[in-house]
Amino acid sequence: MACLHDHNCEDHDCSSSWSLYKHIDLSKVSALNEAVSGSVKSVFRAWEQRLDSSGEHLASNEGDPELLVYVPFTTDVKIKSISVVGGADGTSPSKMRVFINRDGIDFSDAQSMQPVQEWDLVENLHGVLEYQTRYSKFQSVASITLHFPESFGGDTTQIHYIGFKGEATQLKRDVVATIVYELTPNPSDHKTRAESGGGLSHVE
Amino acid sequence: MVLEATMICIDNSEWMRNGDYAPSRFQAQADAINLICGAKTQSNPENTVGILTMAGKGVRVLVTPTSDLGKILACMHGLEIGGEMNLAAGIQVAQLALKHRQNKKQQQRIIVFAGSPVKHDKKSLEMIGRKLKKNSVALDIVNFGEDDEGKTEKLEAFLAAVNNNDTSHIVHVAAGPNALSDVLISTPIFTGDGEGGSGFAAAAAAAAAGGVSGFEFGVDPNLDPELALALRVSMEEERARQEAAAKKAAEEAAKQEKGGEQQSSSQDATMTEQTSAATSEADKRNDLTDVENALLQQALAMSMDDPSSSHELRDTDMSDAAADDPELALALQLSVQDSTKDSSQENATKLLADQSFVSSILSSLPGVDPNDPSVKELLASMQDQSESQQKQDEDKTSKEEEK
Repeated sequence: MACLHDHNCEDHDCSSSWSLYKHIDLSKVSALNEAVSGSVKSVFRAWEQRLDSSGEHLASNEGDPELLVYVPFTTDVKIKSISVVGGADGTSPSKMRVFINRDGIDFSDAQSMQPVQEWDLVENLHGVLEYQTRYSKFQSVASITLHFPESFGGDTTQIHYIGFKGEATQLKRDVVATIVYELTPNPSDHKTRAESGGGLSHVE
Repeated sequence: MVLEATMICIDNSEWMRNGDYAPSRFQAQADAINLICGAKTQSNPENTVGILTMAGKGVRVLVTPTSDLGKILACMHGLEIGGEMNLAAGIQVAQLALKHRQNKKQQQRIIVFAGSPVKHDKKSLEMIGRKLKKNSVALDIVNFGEDDEGKTEKLEAFLAAVNNNDTSHIVHVAAGPNALSDVLISTPIFTGDGEGGSGFAAAAAAAAAGGVSGFEFGVDPNLDPELALALRVSMEEERARQEAAAKKAAEEAAKQEKGGEQQSSSQDATMTEQTSAATSEADKRNDLTDVENALLQQALAMSMDDPSSSHELRDTDMSDAAADDPELALALQLSVQDSTKDSSQENATKLLADQSFVSSILSSLPGVDPNDPSVKELLASMQDQSESQQKQDEDKTSKEEEK
């Protein structure tokens, strides 16, 4: 389920379609089993910078290549395909399993639950590979959780870049705008339609 | 103010009957737990705390993570001591309880009270630790009670396996006069990770550290914050006044030097007497003497070295101080008068004789008009003072009456 770009990737076409990183809620991105807390945020960049390995990258703890990345979006998005650039020397992830719209997944959940989709990855050091999704299942994604259970034999798993291709729908999934905590309820705030004289039904 | 869900693992094994921690290990543990629950729920209202026991018939969750402090404290009643502690099972159950917390945004933390010997081996503890680290659960270990072979080592290794960025801590509490809770208050277990301590922890620390008499000013800032604040403010004001008085004394010394060379010997005597007068006042307050002395020494050095420059400084300093606070100026004058009664009479008179200085002070006093005839009379009379010693006392008293 991988496709190779056979055109010049310097086209604007490519980078604009990989623009879903702009809709990621970076402050709420989290990862489990990362060696450096907070380093997961560095893997979400623009397409042009995907090979820029000079900055931070995401690495799992020594001796344990499992990684779990939780990515919430600011709006609902449709994801067409995902691209992952791993590390060299066998530290690339070999499998990817994703879960949609669930937060608070930890490793035992991830291992036991059925993912929405899973892929066998190949080493993709130049970021030219993308993994297509079953688009019908990825129509309104508010958050995606990526589980990388193993690497290509390395002691740890390293990820330099994760890209999402698709479109943003500008819709927000059940956002609670204001929460009012009531210690004791005020009946006048909770009048039902019947109590307030009933609504007249309009027949147009 | 970290949003946290905490599970506290209580050791209620047979080893907790021992009385080496007053009143008994179990009681000391219970007190510490009460304090921790209070601190956690206070530092963030959405924090939740849960309790489980590790010994007895088996690991039992008494209350799942909740923010209701009453429920937590209530479940501590009627706990029975017995059996053996199962550390591994306890921690795994705690992890499970945290996993199913209602608010997934909370950070996970487990606090373990390890009072009895640890029967698990280091390897299995490390494996559990790695699992906790992988699921980003922080762990605090309170090592107290029994200290058999290898327990400390095992627990340290356990902590090393769990620790991620110093979010986990271990505290070793030896038996002794200090209560377990008192020792814990100053540890990161209470104060959180580098947050500097919540108000609760700070207040509790103040309470523990000094008992009743240990409070500054003898008043608990928590019980009566306004009184404590008022006392502190008046202390500051007094200190400022003391420093100003000391400065003035030093300036007088400078003036003395400028006044006459023949008086240099008496001046030294007066300086020291002034110093002693000033410092005796300082001695009445606690621990200001050293500061006063240092200031005075500085002022002395300044005056000895460079009397000419200090003269210019003198008037501006004093008038600034006087302008700021007319009561201060009054008080200074009075205090100067008082001190000069003990020592030589010359200093105050020399000062008061300086027309410009006095009028500057008086002009800054509210309700006193330097052009007022009575004031002018006063000034004239003060000048006469400098000629005869006997008139001095009368005039001083008359001046005080007038004021």
